[in-house]
Amino acid sequence: MKFMDWLDERLAVRQLIKVMLTEYYVPKNINFLWSFGVLIMVVFAILVVSGIFLLMYYKPDSHLAFDSVNKTIMMDVEYGWLFRHTHAVAASIMFLVLYVHMARGIYYGSFKAPREIVWITGYILFILMAATAFTGYLLPWGQMSYWAAQTITTLFEKIPFIGPDLVVWIRGNYIVEDATLTRFFALHVVFLPLLLIVFTGIHLYAVRIVGSNNEDGIELTKEEKKHGKGIPFWPVFMAKEFFVISVFLIFFFYLVFYQYKFAMDPINFTPADYLQTPTHIYPEWYFLAFYEVLRGFFFSQNLGLIAFVLSMFIAAFLPWLDTSPIRSGNHRPLYKILFFIFVADFVFLTILGKLPPTGLYAWLGFAGSLVYFAFFFALPIISRIEKKKLEGGR
Amino acid sequence: MKELKILLILVVVVLVGYWGIEPYAHSVMHGEVKKPDYNYSDLKTTAATTGDPAKGKELFVANCASCHGLKNDGINPGMDKNAAITSFNVVPPDLSNIAAILDHKFLAAFIKNPQQATENPKFAMPPMAQLSDEDVGHIIAYLSSVAKKNLDGKEITIEACGRCHSIKYQKIYAETPAENLKAYLGKVPPDLSVMGKAKELEYLETFINNPQNGLPGTSMPRLGLTKESTEKVVAYLDQIADPHREQRNKLGMWVIGYLVVMAGLTFAWKKKIWKNIH
Repeated sequence: MKFMDWLDERLAVRQLIKVMLTEYYVPKNINFLWSFGVLIMVVFAILVVSGIFLLMYYKPDSHLAFDSVNKTIMMDVEYGWLFRHTHAVAASIMFLVLYVHMARGIYYGSFKAPREIVWITGYILFILMAATAFTGYLLPWGQMSYWAAQTITTLFEKIPFIGPDLVVWIRGNYIVEDATLTRFFALHVVFLPLLLIVFTGIHLYAVRIVGSNNEDGIELTKEEKKHGKGIPFWPVFMAKEFFVISVFLIFFFYLVFYQYKFAMDPINFTPADYLQTPTHIYPEWYFLAFYEVLRGFFFSQNLGLIAFVLSMFIAAFLPWLDTSPIRSGNHRPLYKILFFIFVADFVFLTILGKLPPTGLYAWLGFAGSLVYFAFFFALPIISRIEKKKLEGGR
Repeated sequence: MKELKILLILVVVVLVGYWGIEPYAHSVMHGEVKKPDYNYSDLKTTAATTGDPAKGKELFVANCASCHGLKNDGINPGMDKNAAITSFNVVPPDLSNIAAILDHKFLAAFIKNPQQATENPKFAMPPMAQLSDEDVGHIIAYLSSVAKKNLDGKEITIEACGRCHSIKYQKIYAETPAENLKAYLGKVPPDLSVMGKAKELEYLETFINNPQNGLPGTSMPRLGLTKESTEKVVAYLDQIADPHREQRNKLGMWVIGYLVVMAGLTFAWKKKIWKNIH
């Protein structure tokens, strides 16, 4: 233990371990959904490592990109295919764990005071992750890469006054071209991951200050957690976490080896061609719900665009929309119903987002979009109902 | 128990979503893929599909050899490659093995009327109206007698597709220059290197059998491949698009096996640590 003493004198590692791990308590009444934060970190680590290996062979040039991915990495480099499959599946699964993590926060009211900063930084992380996924998706330079980028960047055209100039500024050309590829590459591998790491730091710091929420949403003091109502982060919480990670990894690598097609669209195995628009253009599954809100207002492009932007950002304002004094969904019957309608609606919108927006599907998309917003606009109302009930009970 | 209930909800939501964005969405987007028709039953021809090979050779030299060669029997085409490209914008195929890969009924109908058989009104070869039904049978008998048997997937693919399509990851390049193909077909035909991944195999089979059934309006002619040749071509395209399948399946078992052991160990550790908690 001499080395530990030496380190301790210089870095106070013993104190650090106590504060961060052995004497950092999490509530006992939390379920495995509280493991998803660590799962996100695991998936992020997988993305960084597989991404670095891909970076060694990838060529960010519109003439070379497709072949460097589909020939060099997928066929020539030893186990190159493994790193690409892992990266593609991890990018997709990142959003699954993110959505579960966020849904847990919404259901148990983890966004409420004093955890607003946790929620906001988390939401910024979600937006950053979406930007990372979007820029990364262009890099293989396949048909879907190209047309997804073309379609989404075109949306900026609708911004009043600066729109058309902004689109050219983003693309670096009048259409998505080589300049777009290289700048998306720069954003994807340097700028966005850097921001992700910074905001992850703030997010975790904020969690350490306010502590984890729990199933009942009842605030526990450190003393309460220390004496019976909590468990130390290390080794007790992490012992369970390792088991959850193992089970998650079985699922994850099953997808990587045997069910990867959902993360690697067949259309993207045709090289990008700006003269030929694919019959169906759709984003990856994790953007489909928001994309469907955009298309849902099929009678007005402008309205659709406003709804799309609102749908992406409205959840960031949850702490101020939901002002109910009761925190956990377990103790809020009305909220519970709304929450599950919202989840069902999100899945519904996701499914519709990939279907052609015609006939009945168009109207269903419109209805689904309204339900999506109804959840958020109902929150102030049920907060008031719950407040009244609570005051009446006193 | 409570945790299992939550897990169950999670699994159901994920499965419903997966069903919606994969199998269901694909069935809506692509519709029912038509079944391939290897009898080419839309082609009505009275032409014979067999006859006397010796007569066939005479007829071949007189009627076909001005454009087509037949290397297996030492016959060179009357027109060199560059002259053919200038006149037709496509290289006429050497017919050595054609009878081994095409359906003979299709072949008979094709010789009589290539535009109808290929469903491509701009097909370069003119109809051979001067040949009688018996003559066609003799020619097919001759072509069958010289064709190599048991061609593998790669050979069939090159014979059937290689005049127009490149497979650059296999260093196979289209015989006809791209600019001529563009003039002939309206666009440069796609490279086939990863076509096995870009399309469902079932779709590829239908498409090769009859391009109009997969992509209405396409300028790709119907080829008239037999069932066996079509399947070999599809298997070849599948294999070159995904060369590491065996390695992947094998490694996958090891990785998942390892993780199952790890899950067992971590579960045991969790049990031990949590023994005194509750």
